[in-house]
Amino acid sequence: MSKIKYFIQQSWLLLVTSFLFGLLIAVADAAWSAKIEQNKAEKLRGLMASLISDANSFELAIQEANLPGDKGRMIKTDIYKALDKQGNCAGFAFVAVGAGFADKIELVVAVDARCEKLLSFNVLSSNETPGFGNKMKNDSFRNQFKDAPAGKLLLVKIGDASKIDNEIVVISGATVTSTAVINIFNKSVISVKEQLQKKGLITANGR
Amino acid sequence: MDRVYILIMGFLSVVIVNNFVFTKFLGTCPYLGVSGRLDTAFGMGLAVTFVTAMSGILTWLIDFYVLVPLGLEITRYICYIVVIAGAVQLVEMYVKKFFPMLNKSFGIFLPLISTNCVILGLCLFINIWGTDNLLEVAVLSTGTGFGFAVAICIMAAIRENLILADVPDSFKGAPITLITAGLLTLAFMGFTGMIR
Amino acid sequence: MADENSVKINYLAALTAGLWRENPTFRLLIGMCPPLAVTTAVKPALTMGLSVIFVLVCSNLAISLMRNLLKPHLRIIMFTLSIATFVTICDLYLRAFQPVMSEILGAYVPLIIVNCIIIFRAEACASKNNVWVSILDGIGSGTGFTIALCIIAGIREILASGTIFGIAVMPRGFVPWAAMQMPVGAFVTLGLLLGLASMLTTKRAS
Repeated sequence: MSKIKYFIQQSWLLLVTSFLFGLLIAVADAAWSAKIEQNKAEKLRGLMASLISDANSFELAIQEANLPGDKGRMIKTDIYKALDKQGNCAGFAFVAVGAGFADKIELVVAVDARCEKLLSFNVLSSNETPGFGNKMKNDSFRNQFKDAPAGKLLLVKIGDASKIDNEIVVISGATVTSTAVINIFNKSVISVKEQLQKKGLITANGR
Repeated sequence: MDRVYILIMGFLSVVIVNNFVFTKFLGTCPYLGVSGRLDTAFGMGLAVTFVTAMSGILTWLIDFYVLVPLGLEITRYICYIVVIAGAVQLVEMYVKKFFPMLNKSFGIFLPLISTNCVILGLCLFINIWGTDNLLEVAVLSTGTGFGFAVAICIMAAIRENLILADVPDSFKGAPITLITAGLLTLAFMGFTGMIR
Repeated sequence: MADENSVKINYLAALTAGLWRENPTFRLLIGMCPPLAVTTAVKPALTMGLSVIFVLVCSNLAISLMRNLLKPHLRIIMFTLSIATFVTICDLYLRAFQPVMSEILGAYVPLIIVNCIIIFRAEACASKNNVWVSILDGIGSGTGFTIALCIIAGIREILASGTIFGIAVMPRGFVPWAAMQMPVGAFVTLGLLLGLASMLTTKRAS
């Protein structure tokens, strides 16, 4: 009995303050957790909307699809279907991951309704060398991918960057990063197309 | 075989390529303070490796089996820091009782370690990386501690020689250490791209 | 009358100590991880600085209220617990209202828990002084820390991308110093600034 008394005597402050602090955190959480969830959802939607200009709304096409990721692993990602104002399919968008030079590269990719052409992409997170691999975020590199045939991209050292075809001009001094980006597209778009076709979400006239 | 390859690569990556001191700026306080002499640096490095390995595993276990299933992620930071503080206490008691010689070389570092950014940083990064199996967590934790030990020993070796160099008075101590550390990060950057 | 004056001077001293004389980054050399990690641009540095001020003030307040009830061997865990609570609240706030900054700062927000400054101020000041002095001390140290962060971040951001707070300030022909964005830039800038601070101190003393 005296042991318990001693214990309480020593630690009553600890117990009381733990309780109070726990209360404070619970209040803060209750007040703000909704906003945090909202932020998360909005962030991805905002990015996807910026990639597909016709898009009016997004709906989940496939949840937790398996896509090839970095280090030979499969990752789970959601594939979203973009709907334009008439409710027709304006394209698909998803997050793709691949192994870059320094660390993994996460991209938000948008493809057209038939999953054959790339619409655009944005970099979600990457750790590539500033001034070299980091140039993949520049418009001059990214614009080469507009309407390029997905899955068949080829890296070339010299070429015309403004021509829209399957040849992508490498970033000078950043071959590994450029190759990584090409590989992410080639691998993941093929996989996405397969899975969408299996679920019958891609139709002949692109609706 | 593939599994082992991933583990080895993970270990190397955390020690050399993504060294916590040089690329994530964690553990800078003890790094500046303790890297004066090689033997103290080695003691500190050893102590940190010990504690990071234990804390990494413990916090991951708690997160995986208790916090996430019960939806208590909010208390994550508090749980982590309490576990780390407790682990350091335990390690200290254990070392004092069973390895008194080791205790002498650790000195006062062991209690100081609980405020070392590396440990909490490691636990948080393991959480962010989404590591999902225990073996990987163990390897990454030990690797991080080891990386810190490598970094601090290199710095100690350099500083021991710096004493003989002609450093301007106001730059002696922390400033020249930081500049040296910067050059070291540059050197370590050469390892980027080593692991794909 | 004299008593009132000395009390006032005490408060002022508490507030201004952290700004230069006991500036955590440049003089006391504690809490060095954030100045290296979050100073790639001024906005994250400012956000981090303000978060630290918030946590410092709240935890100093809490500790000061409890100072007469603290058992000596439970001190550290009480400090840690209160700091961890306020950092959690701060992190929730940032994730709700500043999601972009929260992502850039990433794991460094919870790392405020182990930031030596806060524990140091709790031990050195809050556990021994009344509530008002503790709060002022928290504001002072936190502001000193924030100013240090912003100076480093300002230098790094101008040299690394020619902007401050996202607004371009360098002439168009300026080639950005990529090294400033990388760890090298962080360490070297901080080292040079510390050397400078040390020079200024010795000049003043002599």
